[in-house]
Formats: sequence, C-alpha cells, structure tokens
Amino acid sequence: MALAVAGGAGTIAAGWNTWGWYTLAWSAALLAGAAWMGFANGTAAGEAGADPMIATYLQGREQFGAAVLPVWGRHMDNSRTQMEDAVSDLAGRFSSIVDKLDHALHVSSLAGNQDGAQSMTAVFSHSESQLASVVASMKSAMQSKQAMLAQIRDLERFTRELRDMAEGVASIAAQTNLLALNAAIEAARAGPAGAGFAVVAQEVRHLSSRSADTGRNISQRVGQISSAILAASQAAEQSSDAEHQSMQSAEGMIDSVLADFRTMTDALVQSSDLLKQESIAIQGEVGEALVQLQFQDRVSQVMTHVRENLELMPAVLEESRRHYEATGELLAPDPAPLLDALKSTYAMAEEHAVHGGSKHVAPKAADADEITFF
Amino acid sequence: MAKTILVVDDSASLRQVVGIALKGAGYDVIEGRDGADALTKCTGQKIHLVVCDVNMPNMDGITFVKEFKKLASYRFTPVIMLTTESQESKKEEGKAAGAKAWVVKPFKPEVLLGAVAKLVLP
Repeated sequence: MALAVAGGAGTIAAGWNTWGWYTLAWSAALLAGAAWMGFANGTAAGEAGADPMIATYLQGREQFGAAVLPVWGRHMDNSRTQMEDAVSDLAGRFSSIVDKLDHALHVSSLAGNQDGAQSMTAVFSHSESQLASVVASMKSAMQSKQAMLAQIRDLERFTRELRDMAEGVASIAAQTNLLALNAAIEAARAGPAGAGFAVVAQEVRHLSSRSADTGRNISQRVGQISSAILAASQAAEQSSDAEHQSMQSAEGMIDSVLADFRTMTDALVQSSDLLKQESIAIQGEVGEALVQLQFQDRVSQVMTHVRENLELMPAVLEESRRHYEATGELLAPDPAPLLDALKSTYAMAEEHAVHGGSKHVAPKAADADEITFF
Repeated sequence: MAKTILVVDDSASLRQVVGIALKGAGYDVIEGRDGADALTKCTGQKIHLVVCDVNMPNMDGITFVKEFKKLASYRFTPVIMLTTESQESKKEEGKAAGAKAWVVKPFKPEVLLGAVAKLVLP
C-alpha cells in the first residue's frame, strides 16, 4: 500500500513539473486509483466492509486529500496573485514608457514641426530672413556711399574746369597789360595830344594787374578746394573700402553662422523624424506586448478553474469511503463528475481544446473583423 | 474634453492593459474590479462607454450590464463586452442584456480602440 501511495505521489510530482496545474486533478485521481488497486487484489466486494485495514486506509486517504489539497490550492492562489502583481507592475512600466515616449516626441516635435510657431525651424527661417534684410540694408547703404563718392569725383572735375578758367583770366590780364603798354607807347609818341590816352592806358594796366592778381587768387583757392576735395575723396574711398571689407566679412560670418545653425536644425529635424519613426515602431511593440500581457488573465482563469475543481476532490474521496462503509464495495473514484464539473467552468476555447487532448494551444489576438457588433 | 470610459474587470493587470490602450488614445478611464464595484464607481459620473468583462466575482458582467442599463443616466451608454468567452450562447446573453459589441480576449489595442471609436457617445 505504501508503495502504491508513494507511486501515486511520484506521479503527482512528475505531473507538477512536466504538465503544470492541469495535471493535478489527474494525478490526484491516479493516486486514488493506485491506492485502490493495491487493495483490489486481495479484497472482494461485500467482505471489505468489515476490513478495518481498508476502512483505515480510506479514512487516511480522505485525510490526505484534506491536508494536501488546501495547500495546493493556496500555492496556486499565491502563484496567481504573484503573477498578477508582476504583470500589473510590468503593464505599469509599459504605461510609463509610453508616456515618456509621448513626452519626448512632443518636445522634439517643437524642434522639427514646420507648422509650429515656436519650432526651431520657424525660428531659423525668421532669423535668416531678418539677417538677410540687415545685409540688404548694409549693401544699400554702401551703394548710396558709392554714389556720393562719384559726385565728389565730379566736384573735382568742376574744380579743374574752374582752375582752367582762372588761368584764362590770368592770360587775358597779361594780354590786356601788353595791350595797355602798347597804348602807353602810342600815347607818348602822340605827345601832349596823347596825354589823356596815356592816363587811360595806365588805368587799363592797373586793371589788368588786378585781374591777374584775382586770377591767381582764384587759381590758388581752386587749388586748395581741389586738394580738400581730393583728400576728402581719398578718405571716403578708404572708408568705403574698409566698410566694404567689413560688410563682406559680416556677410561671410552671417552665412557661416546660418550654415551652422541650418546644420544643427537639420540634424534636429532628422532626429525628430527618426524619433517619430522609432516611436511608431515602439508603440507597435508595446501594443504587441499588451496583447502578450493578457496571458496572465487567461492563465489565472485556468488556475482558478483547476483549483476550484481540486476543492471537489475531498468530497469525492469522502463519498468513496461512505460508499464502502455502506455497501462494503470498494469502488475507484469516478473521474467523470470531476471532469464534467471542470468542463462546466471553461470560458475559453483553449480550455476545451486542452481538455480534449491538445497539449499546446496558443490563442491568437482577435482581428477587427472578429468583433461581434449587436 | 476627454471622454470617460468605465473599465470593469476583476483582473488588475487586464484593467491596466485596457487602461493603457484607452488613455493612449486620449480617453479618461474609471476602473471597477467587478460588477458591484463598477455600479458604485459610476454613480454621478458622465460615462461615455463601458468596457466590461463577463466572468467576475460578486457580480458578473452580464448582471452588471442589466443593472447598469436600469439606471436612467446610462440607458443609452454603449457597453463592449471584453471577455475570454467566445460561446455564441454567452454572446446572446450579452446582447439580451444590452451590450453593443463582443470582443474576445486576447485583444489587439487597435481593434478595441476601433470598436470604442465606433460606439462611444458624442
């Protein structure tokens, strides 16, 4: 008998490791069956009612069930609770990942979003436009300065003309002086009759002398003005050259800064796009993970059904003992009521499949067209 | 303003999984751990849709839907049954109780969201 019970217990242990919870009910039935077979060889119906050994065995078997089955049930409940807690925690972590991903995506979209008023790209475009208008304004100022320089150069041409005119005045004065000298000679040759003419000639010579002085003064002043204009023109040209170089340098620097900024914003936009793509992929993975996490609910239901079925076992053993006590007939426990009770608790198609003999049935997540709308 | 969905399931992890899918789509979620608990949670709340399990302790999903539909405020609130049950007889029970759709677990988040979007009250 001891060997038979030990054999049954061994079967239970093997069933636990190999097939899991599903086999517990079967193992317990085997235990009962193996024990019964140990007695059946030497016991006939009708005689066993008086056999104290059998009565003791049946009582012991009942006590065995009463002792072991609640422990199994508690282990199953504990495992179910642990699994549920762990999966809840896991689901919470997935939720946190999704939230953080959404936040990162939102922040990065501010950099890459072309439509957003505050986006990095929008800020760049606005800055580029403003700097371009500054450069255009500087170029316009340079063009005005060049026009002014051209006018100054024209002034220099005018002063040259003025100098030529002053030289013309000096030349006319010299010729007038020569003419007055000839007039004075002719007046002297005329004697007393030319005395008045000599006075006129003398005045004309004075006038020519003053004209020559005025011509020289004009020429001198024009020269001074010309020198001043030339100096101003040269200074303006030097200033213009310096400003031109400065503007070119500023334009180059602006272009360089904008290019760096463009590279940076392009990289940010690329990162943002990449993050968006990765986010979509991760959300797909999380969606798949959410499907897989639902296994806990199914496993929990199966374990609950098996545990509830195990709770029926003591009653079966008790009934077996009562039957023996009443009739003296030693019957093997009938698995059918237990299996029927187990079957009546099934909610999932996979439970029915496993009950029917399938060893591994993995349910598939329902597609949209599998939803039933009423 | 976000619409509110009542999720009723005795499995905390399932409530969480459904919650992640719904919150990710912008819905507010209220949870009930069984039918009886859900009836107390929804009192005074504007509920735009219910996602409900069938097999639960204290009060099962079918009974809950019947009781829920008796409340004047929720007479027209759509209910989606989300369950491992796939038997036609159970579906008929759900339909008779007043459910609008039957989704079998495990579910794909996008499939559930599609059904929710189709039925949720405006």
